[in-house]
Amino acid sequence: MELDDLKQTWNQNQSTKPLNTDIMELIQHKSYGPLAALKKAFRKQIVFMAIIPAYFIMLNVDDLHALSNNVILWSYIAFCLGVIIFSYYNYRLVNKMEGMDNLVKVNLEQQVNLLERSMKWKKTALMAALLFFILLIEIVPYFQHYRMLDKWHSVPAAIRYVVYAGLFVLQYFANTWVNERRYGRHLKYLKELVKEMQ
Amino acid sequence: MQKLEGEKEFIKHISQHELMLYKVCRVYAYSDADRQDLFQEIVIQLWKAYPKFKGDSKISTWLYRVAINTAISGLRKKKNLVTSFEPTSIPEPAGVYDQEHCQEERLQQMYQAIEQLNAVEKAIVMLYMEDRTYLEMEEILGLGQGNLRVKMNRIKEKLRQLTKNY
Repeated sequence: MELDDLKQTWNQNQSTKPLNTDIMELIQHKSYGPLAALKKAFRKQIVFMAIIPAYFIMLNVDDLHALSNNVILWSYIAFCLGVIIFSYYNYRLVNKMEGMDNLVKVNLEQQVNLLERSMKWKKTALMAALLFFILLIEIVPYFQHYRMLDKWHSVPAAIRYVVYAGLFVLQYFANTWVNERRYGRHLKYLKELVKEMQ
Repeated sequence: MQKLEGEKEFIKHISQHELMLYKVCRVYAYSDADRQDLFQEIVIQLWKAYPKFKGDSKISTWLYRVAINTAISGLRKKKNLVTSFEPTSIPEPAGVYDQEHCQEERLQQMYQAIEQLNAVEKAIVMLYMEDRTYLEMEEILGLGQGNLRVKMNRIKEKLRQLTKNY
């Protein structure tokens, strides 16, 4: 069968018409694609991370002195701020990925580049968050007494450091696995297409 | 007022080229529901990108870019959308029809063969079937004309192999 023989039939063919062609109605809908879903997830994360610390502050607002000296709470707030900044950065990356009016090749290359950058940032941010909490656990007992932390500090330092190292390794593999499951296939698919366009 | 005029103009452009958009959906989605979803997503993306359209290229070139980009990379929610398959041979037609039916049947066979191409090849073959020039294909896809010609020849051969039983 020759492709050129079918050109006329192809151009006359109307059987592909979708049911709903009300353009006005269609543009009122929200995008349901994965990029829109990602943006929504980052927006939710930003709101959630802003509400939780505000809630804790409101709970302790009666005792301002205790509140201002609560190292754990302020550390948690710093962590939430970090997550908000990270989510906002990712939100902007996804925004850039949404532009669909580029040349197809340029668009694909941009998507690969942004997705890889986002994954790299995520890896770094998670490492930084873990390091932050380890430092917190190690340093806080010098300023404030928390029964749980006292117990942990009664464990020999060598064992504690081995556990921390184990946590880093575990986090590295867990993150790689999650990234592979969530974005790996899609990234591979995009890279194959970019290669195909060379 | 200006927004209303923009909307009217946008709807006019879409209505003039809707058959072209349906064909993108036909090539990239394989069930009516998926085609409907893809059509909706393409229209939404076109509407979002419309304020940036300054008329530097032909409206059809711009529409193709957004539609193909959306079909290729914007939709990965459903597994049966925008995927490619390992080549298998296409089933033979059941009976003998009159000329028109026969041609229609052959077109459906061709669509089935096109389903087995990857997303980039689908875009190239679709633009070729739509009688777009290689220059216009270059402006849509970003591939050089020489490269497009080579790819088109390979695709033709691939489709010939896939439909050789017909």
